Amino acid sequence: MKVGIPKGLLYNNYKPFFHTFFEELGAELIVSSDTNRDTLNNGVKYCVDEACLPVKIFHGHVAEIKDHCDLILIPRIMQLREREFICPKFCGLPEMVVNSIPDMPRVTMEPIYAMSKDRLFKWAEVVGHEIHNNKGRVKKAFEEAVQCQLNYKTGLNDETSPMKVALAGHPYNIYDNYINMNILKKLRKLGVGVVTEEIIDEDAKAKEIKKLYKRPFWSFARDNYSFTSIAAEKKLVNGIIYISSFACGIDSVVIELIKQNIEDFPFLVLKVDEHTGEAGLDTRIEAFVDMLERRSS
Amino acid sequence: MKITFPHMGNIYFAAKTLFGDLGIDYVIPPISSKASLELGSLHSAEEMCLPFKIMIGNYIHAIEKGADTVIITGSCGPCRLGEYCELQMNLMKRLGYNLDFIVIDSPNDIGAKELLSRFGKISSKSTLSKTNKIAALLRAIKVINLVDEIEAMARNKAGYEVNKGESKKILNECKKEAMNCSDGKSMIALLNSYKTRLENIEADKNKNPIKIAIIGEIYTVIEPFSNLYIEDKLMDYGVSTHRTLSPSWWLKNLVLSPINLNQLDIKRKAKEYLPLMIGGHARECIGEAVLAHDEGFDGAIQIFPMGCMPEIVSKAILPQISKDKDFPILTLVVDEMTGEAGYITRIEAFIDLLERRKDNVLSRC
Ligand code: SF4
Ligand code: SF4
Repeated sequence: MKVGIPKGLLYNNYKPFFHTFFEELGAELIVSSDTNRDTLNNGVKYCVDEACLPVKIFHGHVAEIKDHCDLILIPRIMQLREREFICPKFCGLPEMVVNSIPDMPRVTMEPIYAMSKDRLFKWAEVVGHEIHNNKGRVKKAFEEAVQCQLNYKTGLNDETSPMKVALAGHPYNIYDNYINMNILKKLRKLGVGVVTEEIIDEDAKAKEIKKLYKRPFWSFARDNYSFTSIAAEKKLVNGIIYISSFACGIDSVVIELIKQNIEDFPFLVLKVDEHTGEAGLDTRIEAFVDMLERRSS
Repeated sequence: MKITFPHMGNIYFAAKTLFGDLGIDYVIPPISSKASLELGSLHSAEEMCLPFKIMIGNYIHAIEKGADTVIITGSCGPCRLGEYCELQMNLMKRLGYNLDFIVIDSPNDIGAKELLSRFGKISSKSTLSKTNKIAALLRAIKVINLVDEIEAMARNKAGYEVNKGESKKILNECKKEAMNCSDGKSMIALLNSYKTRLENIEADKNKNPIKIAIIGEIYTVIEPFSNLYIEDKLMDYGVSTHRTLSPSWWLKNLVLSPINLNQLDIKRKAKEYLPLMIGGHARECIGEAVLAHDEGFDGAIQIFPMGCMPEIVSKAILPQISKDKDFPILTLVVDEMTGEAGYITRIEAFIDLLERRKDNVLSRC
């Protein structure tokens, strides 16, 4: 059995889990390439116009591998934590893909609720069954996969760098170098270190979020709001860069909440879509870094 | 305390009844208009969705008329509406307005006690006895059900009326006069009389008008200004329209959803294409599209504000439904830049298409 894994959206965050799970079940994995021009072109071709760049790119990854596998993983992540949500587009991702791309092989439709191991296992049971009849084997693959995932850490922390920015935004905008046009490299080349939300521990985030009248019910909002808030207040960084995609409804709210909260702390929002030019982006980053340097000198 | 609320379709009739009968001071913001939207856009982040902007416009207009307290509902589904209140509160504060917000949230999220205390904040301003307060609330519910029913009837009858424009005229008259009523009782009486009038307008049963279902994001289908009065326009073309989402639908859905008895038919119809709740009203949109086809409508029009996350998912699915069922669906995305001329051209072209399809079917048999 060939299982296709698109390298889009939260792939980078959960790859140990998915890779291990399918490999343990004896599936052959067909993984799409790192995002590139073709991925984008395919995404734009198949996906609804109004969608955001990351979702279009996800479509592009699926289109690349769809003819080479029997089953494609489309992680319909509904919830990562109790009483929090991800994004409507994640919840409807399999439907978006199968109704937009022609001649699709089978895809995983099962929703993922990752707030507890039990709930997550429901997904593994259904999907595992498509590959292997042996329940014990599915259970074992699941346990292995969870273990690998727990040992895996994402996050950047250029602690020693004298000048640092907090890089905020959805993980796929931060870790997909095609989407963000290599912002990491660009910043480091300018002598600016990068830290991401993983440096703040969960308790501190939870405490920070309590200060809002209404608890954000989006996990992305919670992470980014509390991260930027703490980073600004404790001066962990010199400035904040938020990478966002046009037409992201969640960011439109989160960015506003952040702006209102950090007041005049240096804050740059970079919005990307398929028309974003790299030169313009570079100029804005450089201008921002210049400003930070002036402030700190 | 002078209460106001954002507009959403016919809600203002119920609000007038409720606050009027309770004896609580209130302001109805001027009907949403270009001015409300411009005001709202001026002060909101560019990428906020259209409903947010129009609502801000409503608040500011209401403040100009003395309002100091807003009631809004925050839903805790995975969509932006639930996050509105926080941003709107901050925004109004930054603009220098001293506006109190009373957010009616689902008890699951804030706890039943907190919810009751928020309600209490409103009702304590009324000197009525508890029984009379409840009676006032029931009258308001009756009013919203009646207005929505009358409106639905008029929109449907527009396709069958013998005297062109009669249903629209009655509907408009009804709304105008209802606002002149002094209390809930008289409004209910008036609405009932208009209902009878509408029931009795001369209709041609043999007419086979074009029938269109209006589906999509709840605010933009319900609040007529935001969709450039599409239903009124379709009435002028002699098209019969139907829309499931309305304030009274929303209320009923709210009451029934904890026991899972809400809108069973829509859920069943949506199942094949979108089996899960994804936020907003995307599942309703899909279910209604399928239902409209099954019920013999000629087509459906999906409306949503630019950037609306759940409806973008619906939009990806609708073409497949359209193909599977040979059922035309037009999608209209609205925002502050929507130009009336282009918008109307698209609607007209769609009606033309539906008419041609109808003629073809007829000539074939
Ligand atoms: S969170 Fe934003 S960027 Fe991510 S899929 Fe949803 S709309 Fe797109
Ligand atoms: S459903 Fe659409 S319009 Fe409503 S809050 Fe969500 S994104 Fe905005």
